Amino acid sequence: MSVVVPLSEDQRDALQEITNIAMGQAASSLANLLDTFVNLSVPRINVVGVEKLPSAISQLVGRETDVTAVRQSFQGYLRGEAIVIYGNDGCKELGDLMGYDEELDRSAELELLLDVSNVLVGACLGGMIEQLKGVGENNSGELSFSAPSMMAENVPADAVINASKLTWTHALLMEVNFSLESHDFISHLIMLMPEQAIDKMRGILDEFIASF
Amino acid sequence: MPTPILVVDDSAMARKMLIRALPPTWDVEITQAGNGVEAIEAYRAGKADVMFLDLTMPVMDGYQVLECLQNEDLNSFVIVVSADIQPVAQERVLKLGAIAFVKKPVTAEVMETVLKQYGVAL
Repeated sequence: MSVVVPLSEDQRDALQEITNIAMGQAASSLANLLDTFVNLSVPRINVVGVEKLPSAISQLVGRETDVTAVRQSFQGYLRGEAIVIYGNDGCKELGDLMGYDEELDRSAELELLLDVSNVLVGACLGGMIEQLKGVGENNSGELSFSAPSMMAENVPADAVINASKLTWTHALLMEVNFSLESHDFISHLIMLMPEQAIDKMRGILDEFIASF
Repeated sequence: MPTPILVVDDSAMARKMLIRALPPTWDVEITQAGNGVEAIEAYRAGKADVMFLDLTMPVMDGYQVLECLQNEDLNSFVIVVSADIQPVAQERVLKLGAIAFVKKPVTAEVMETVLKQYGVAL
């Protein structure tokens, strides 16, 4: 087990604010897509050893019922994984919200989850990297994303990630969630970055903070 | 006499960014608050002729602060400064008594325009 070094208070504060601004853009995209008001959460940020990831994710999601998760990896100046976790009851509501008349079959529902994930991940990570563009050495502000893919279906939240399959030692764990007013729908966007990206991120944040 | 202003945001960096975006010629006495409860306290202590208010905060959020202020003798200009760019968010805070909405990240130009618009002497 390696030693996990947390972010400094200033680094965490800055990353939280940057995430908050990016999340505002993601929420706006989701609000447009679903034509309803989206509530924003206070971003939660932590550095954890990978062996603790499943329980940390379960705690962030905070629900007893099973979930469905979509993943997208990103790389470029920073790299990591973005995971969007949906409660199964909320999935059912998406079809209604999107204005589909008949009940969606499972495959149409899953396709909808992939689309929504793509919107959230693109807006949120795009918004973060946009703010940090030019901060740090050779930071072009560019990220490329893999296509969204189904990661886990109908599993408990602590089974979304299989920690034994990760080659990382620890991860920067960031969570924001989007809930809809007068609907059960909630989705958690979780961003994970491995140790090399964390070191890079610390440098970027220090420089960003120093610029104010 | 300097104008007492209150900067409310859970992020220390966001407060710093906002304070830097204020017009340098504006004679102010700045108080900071990290959540809504602290904000109400400072408001009652007369430290908020102008309040810059974030929306997404722990303990007590910006909407709750605005609701709470409606039950007080409102003699404070509240300018909401938020990352929530949904038009509905904007409508709601104006309805709750805020005089303006400024989106994050805030710039000196926008800040000056808004303050001038409401006749704040700079």
